[in-house]
Amino acid sequence: MLDLHTIGLVVNPIAGMGGRVGLKGTDGLVDRARILGAEPMALGRAIEALRPLADRNLRFLTAAGEMGETALRAAGITRCSIVYHPSKPSTARDTREACLKCITEGIDLLLFCGGDGTARDVADAVDQTVPVLGIPAGVKMFSSVFAVDPGAVEAAIPEDAPLRCIEAEVIDVDEEAYRANEFRTVLHAVVRTLAAPGLVQVSKQVFEEVDEERARAAIGAFIADAMLPGILYVLGPGTTTAAVTLHLGLQGTLLGFDAVLDGRLAGSDLDERGILTLLDSVGEARLVLSVIGAQGFVIGRGTQVCTPAVLRRIGLEHLVLLGTPGKLAMTPTLHVDTGDPELDDAFGPHLQVVTGYGTAQRKPRAIRTRFTDPEVTFGKNRM
Amino acid sequence: MQTKILLDEDEMPRRWYNIQADLSAPLDPPLNPKTGAPATPGDLASIFPMELIRQEMARERFIDIPEEVIEILRLWRPSPLYRARRLEQFLGTPARIYYKYEGGSPAGSHKPNTAVPQAYYNRDEGIERIATETGAGQWGSAIAFATSHFDMDCTVYMVRASYDQKPYRKMMMQVWGAECHSSPTTLTACGRSVLEKDPQTSGSLGIAISEAVEDAATHSNTNYALGSVLNHVCLHQTIIGLEAREQLASVDEYPDVVVACVGGGSNFGGIAFPFAGDKLTGKVPDVDIVGVEPAACPTLTKGLYAYDYGDEAGLTPILKMFTLGHDFVPPAIHAGGLRYHGDSPLVSRLVRDGTARAVSVYQNDVFEAAQTFARTEGIIPAPEAAHAIRTTIDIALECRKTGEAKTILFNNTGHGHFDLAAYDAYYAGRLPDYDYPDALIRDALSRLPKVG
Repeated sequence: MLDLHTIGLVVNPIAGMGGRVGLKGTDGLVDRARILGAEPMALGRAIEALRPLADRNLRFLTAAGEMGETALRAAGITRCSIVYHPSKPSTARDTREACLKCITEGIDLLLFCGGDGTARDVADAVDQTVPVLGIPAGVKMFSSVFAVDPGAVEAAIPEDAPLRCIEAEVIDVDEEAYRANEFRTVLHAVVRTLAAPGLVQVSKQVFEEVDEERARAAIGAFIADAMLPGILYVLGPGTTTAAVTLHLGLQGTLLGFDAVLDGRLAGSDLDERGILTLLDSVGEARLVLSVIGAQGFVIGRGTQVCTPAVLRRIGLEHLVLLGTPGKLAMTPTLHVDTGDPELDDAFGPHLQVVTGYGTAQRKPRAIRTRFTDPEVTFGKNRM
Repeated sequence: MQTKILLDEDEMPRRWYNIQADLSAPLDPPLNPKTGAPATPGDLASIFPMELIRQEMARERFIDIPEEVIEILRLWRPSPLYRARRLEQFLGTPARIYYKYEGGSPAGSHKPNTAVPQAYYNRDEGIERIATETGAGQWGSAIAFATSHFDMDCTVYMVRASYDQKPYRKMMMQVWGAECHSSPTTLTACGRSVLEKDPQTSGSLGIAISEAVEDAATHSNTNYALGSVLNHVCLHQTIIGLEAREQLASVDEYPDVVVACVGGGSNFGGIAFPFAGDKLTGKVPDVDIVGVEPAACPTLTKGLYAYDYGDEAGLTPILKMFTLGHDFVPPAIHAGGLRYHGDSPLVSRLVRDGTARAVSVYQNDVFEAAQTFARTEGIIPAPEAAHAIRTTIDIALECRKTGEAKTILFNNTGHGHFDLAAYDAYYAGRLPDYDYPDALIRDALSRLPKVG
């Protein structure tokens, strides 16, 4: 929890230009967008978001000119310091540098204006040091760090109250593939954003279980309590699976595969061979994986060591999926991509995801089609 | 064509049916939570009136309904039995679907059927106040209504999550003169201890029961009342099934299938026990009796048949029942009345013996059925009742496949007018399909010490 005093602002002035002229993104296409008649829109969106903040007791750090200063002045905000001077025209490198400079000077929240591409650059710079919030101005905004609209930014930043944060995924969409009607995403980074149900593009649930940290701890305790002697538990990457090792008091790797046997770490940061070797020494095993929020991959993104050989050896019936309710609320369908279509099909139409102590949810699995039309694979295919 | 099959007020049953008389062997006794020995009437006397303790252990087949209780039940009883022709036509099924509608009671559900006699017996033995718990508020509003008719005070411990998110039933309780607190409270030792450990807790039914029991046990003018689970509660609810059997007989019908949702088991027992009795005594040996529970809290389908506590703190007698463990906190499904870790010992016994069977259903499938029902039959059902509707529809659709013209009876326990936010969430695609990780729970339970 943080007390809010200072906000960093970084605007990507060319964000969103490709969208209106049908380019499905602006990466590497600014000049073409300009020729097609695209006009910068990020400035207007940033001013719209900032204007309601003018009366608040906030201090801003930002970059000179169109990367922030212009928007702040137009919004009537005078309490700001210029901490970075970008090159002309500004580039992705300037976005990263401006963020780093703001962090060095000391901020409580980084506000950026752009789309998924900007979120990616911001995430590279901030990691999890400060929470970030996006003013939506891009073509694609699949990451879960954006306010639902610029007007929601003011309400998402609590007045006279500590910031409540939630983990959020920054999603990388392949723009080239997207233009060819293919929807390919990878999880680029996990950052922190504001927990503001209904205002930030995350869970809109108002049930008793939205608190991500509580949920993760409950999941960790449940899995730890359900661990039986003599069974090898292979734990995949992510903070939800890490809650299991945390509960057991073990030092796991956040991004790699670890294995637990009889309450002790039997291997860490394992590759396929390492896992298979361990499996040879035990009778039974469980594979514990967490769901990547929003995009819904359980196998196939960041889990490459779970080869079909590993999955077959452990057995699909021994797969344990974990996900917090907040994450699942923004994940309509789950995806499995083992690299072996036959094995993918063996997962069936639904998967069970553990969401708390003794609780779970059933989620539909997206059934792969020959062409990856986003409407088909990510649409409403609930059973 | 007749849509409503009605009984006159003077045709209302004058006696409840006690299924304990027809069990092949007596129920395993409740145990004293402190000593582990079979509970004696004296153990229960600090929180229940003697007549209800007697009914809890009674073996006679019928128990008279007091005249004063019948007078109040007349406000909405006998309840109508409907033939759901529009639903049948929509489904294209040869099955004949009947349902008992309990939503016409003042509190909008079947709960007043037992709230009224419980208040009566307590008042009769000089008790001035009832302390009780409520989840989403169905039971709390029913007992508030009942105590108001006997000039008694009423204190309701309402699970915090519902207190904050579902204010209308809390307001109903106030209208009927009851005091409603957000549980856990600082009024009881149990509540204070929970709050000390976790000030942000959203509460649970188990915690609220502990608070109400403690309140009753520590005040001599106060008794505790429970809205489900116990034998005497199921007994009072049998008026539903007794009426339904009469109403069906008046149109020359007897059900092939009886369907009801199961939380603590009282509405299920209420409609099913008279038919289960016919089955146990060999009068109608093949009637199919089906309990429907949420996949999120599948007590009968995935729980253990064992002795367990009825509440979080372990203050209630230990009961032999199907249970998911008294420390299990079910996820926040909208059918709040079905979020209970255990089940009526009588219902559990029938399922264990194969007299009844149980199925579990997912939340989105339940609301889909509720919508179908509302659009054909008009009544917007409570999410709890919609569980029974889901399974009724599934059986009727099976009949369409097989061509069987089964007679299906289900219990429509209440209206869903205070649950419209749940419908809204369904339409917005925001209802998770909660599930129960049974394999992992079995692993976790195998490491825990046994209760009782």
